[in-house]
Amino acid sequence: MFKKLVKYLSSLRFTILLISLLGIVFAVGLWVPQKRLLKTIYLQWQEQSPNLVAFLDALGLTTVYTAPLTVTLWAFFFVNLTLVLWQRIPVIKKKITLTPGSIVDPEQAPGYLFKGAYPLPERVGNDGVLAALSKNGYSLLGDAGGFYGVKNRLAPIAFALFHLSFFLILLGGLVSVYTEFVGYLDLAQSESFQGELNRYVQDPMPKMPAVGTPPDVSFTVKRIAPRVVRNTPTGIDVELVDSAGKSHVVDINVPWNVGASSFVFKHLGMAPLFVVKDPSGKEIDGAYLKLDVLKGKQDKFGLAGYQFTTLFFPDYELKKGKHSTRSMEFNNPVFLVSVAHEGKKVTEGVISRNGALIFDGYRLELRDLLYWVRFHVVKQHGLPILYFGFALATIGVIWRLLFYRREVVGAVRDVDGRRTLVVAARSEYYKSLAEDEFNKLFNSIVDNGRADT
Amino acid sequence: MAYWEIIFYWVALVAYSLATGGILYSFIFKNPRVMPKTFVLLAAGFTGHLAAIIARFNATGHLPWSGHYEYALMGGWFIIGATLLVGWRNKQLQALAVATGPLVVVMMGYGYMQNPDLTPMAASLKTVWLYIHVYFAWLAFGAYSLAMAAGVLFLLKKKDEAAPVRNESYDRFPSLGRLDELIFRYVVFGFITDTIMICAGAIWAKDLWGSYWNWDPVETWSLISWLTYGITIHLRVTFGWREKKLAWLAVAALSTVIICFFGVNLVVDTSLHMFQVR
Repeated sequence: MFKKLVKYLSSLRFTILLISLLGIVFAVGLWVPQKRLLKTIYLQWQEQSPNLVAFLDALGLTTVYTAPLTVTLWAFFFVNLTLVLWQRIPVIKKKITLTPGSIVDPEQAPGYLFKGAYPLPERVGNDGVLAALSKNGYSLLGDAGGFYGVKNRLAPIAFALFHLSFFLILLGGLVSVYTEFVGYLDLAQSESFQGELNRYVQDPMPKMPAVGTPPDVSFTVKRIAPRVVRNTPTGIDVELVDSAGKSHVVDINVPWNVGASSFVFKHLGMAPLFVVKDPSGKEIDGAYLKLDVLKGKQDKFGLAGYQFTTLFFPDYELKKGKHSTRSMEFNNPVFLVSVAHEGKKVTEGVISRNGALIFDGYRLELRDLLYWVRFHVVKQHGLPILYFGFALATIGVIWRLLFYRREVVGAVRDVDGRRTLVVAARSEYYKSLAEDEFNKLFNSIVDNGRADT
Repeated sequence: MAYWEIIFYWVALVAYSLATGGILYSFIFKNPRVMPKTFVLLAAGFTGHLAAIIARFNATGHLPWSGHYEYALMGGWFIIGATLLVGWRNKQLQALAVATGPLVVVMMGYGYMQNPDLTPMAASLKTVWLYIHVYFAWLAFGAYSLAMAAGVLFLLKKKDEAAPVRNESYDRFPSLGRLDELIFRYVVFGFITDTIMICAGAIWAKDLWGSYWNWDPVETWSLISWLTYGITIHLRVTFGWREKKLAWLAVAALSTVIICFFGVNLVVDTSLHMFQVR
């Protein structure tokens, strides 16, 4: 019973079943909104169809990539892979070892689909045949009286490497998942960060690592300079100065990697310094704010008991009485501010840098205008293992599928009074295409005394 | 679209359409002499296609890498390029165009109806990883398309061999044994380039999105596609799936790639792979 179970668990039939089931599970994840990935859509859907969503929740289909069913399938997949590798290692060892038993009569050789006899001219000596095969990449055993040759002898090792890479990817993935810290950090120009947990955005909450600590990194945002060329955002320079005084520039696609932590640029916003003065001209409130107002978004803030709703125009113009922006370039940045008090609109107007808006006798001044950025902060270990797994997978698959084995058995014999090279050959994966290759090889040996293929 | 791009795009599309018509005529009316001429037409269309890509590059300053139109433009070029390459090396394989020709005509027609506007390259695409990732993605798409085409030829030829009156056009095709092995060879090539594409994408994703794997719809579907071809290879090597079974598998498996490139963004608007310029 146990043997039967192990046999099934290590079978390719089981591998294919598991891969197919995983494929179906992944496909389900594409159609059913996933709680973690599509939170907003999921919540809307939950509101519309609470019973259906509750049912799918219970089945784990809204967290399908981490559902117990998926984890079980992955577990079986790796059990299967382990058993397959365990069983194949002796086979691989046997395959890559050259043994005299491999030398068989080419005319009888079982399993060798290609068979041929090539009369040898005088100029091609017996040693020349073997030398030509050797020159063409064949490892040889025996002599002209009977030989065995194999090209890409070590190719079966690539099978083990490719499948081993899955374990490395799994290990790297597990280490990264369990040591992973993920958080969002909003910092304006000139703002410093000392690694404080409460400085991270709280919605969504930072994901704390199961093993390890959050990033212990200190730095100051020295400069934020978005690049907009011909009305197109082309990048951003976020210059950070670390605790040692060293400067680092973060851009799109260029995170700051420090140890196992990386700070990825995620989002840009405006950080204006608004100050409110009372009718006597005394400053009564003011702050650098982080407003998410780019791309036409609206944001709100409160100062001195008033509520302000803002829109931002990076290249402001008044066109046919309407507030608009000429481009996305920051040529003439202006806020359109609507002021309300206790829910009642007081006034509305535009404020440019160093400008002011008067309301209820108060002045709202825009003293300074900086940028803020949101960093996607990730700390995780295990990436080198994961990347090594990727590299190994790539090497393994190329090696195994392109540098496949060709085997030749042969002998130089006297056939009908002529010295003749009698051969039998076979190739992994291919029969018809290999026939061309073998014909070319042996004809080349006969014609030139050397193999050019 | 740029002025010259429009002209050359239509030159390519018309040439491909005529070539496709010629190939179908050759098959249906059993006239094998037409095939080499249609291949010349295909090559002419390919030159126009290249000129359209150059014209677009000249207008935007970057290679066409994103959006359905650009996918179709580059994908079609890779597929026809691969067809011409194998047909040039082996005349018997010119007939692969019977499947790749219509596929590219449909792709380019579809792409044209989407978003052919000239757009600057999104800032997120400015990285060397884009070139590695996308180049290998197109190589994989090209190879899988050839595998599908070889599968179609195999199925046509197999059917013809069983028919009471044979079509001479099929004699110009490689033998069934060779076609069967070619399907596998193209699948292998596609699988290797697909593997490199996924690995490069994961490394790029870490720098761009902060995570090497996000279960993004395009990512997930590319994994499904990779697994499908992985199964295909296993079925062939270990279970000895050959001939009709393998041919049908190669034809069916291409659907996963088409869904990955064109289908996902049609039904989902939350993919990280939609690189918005603004």
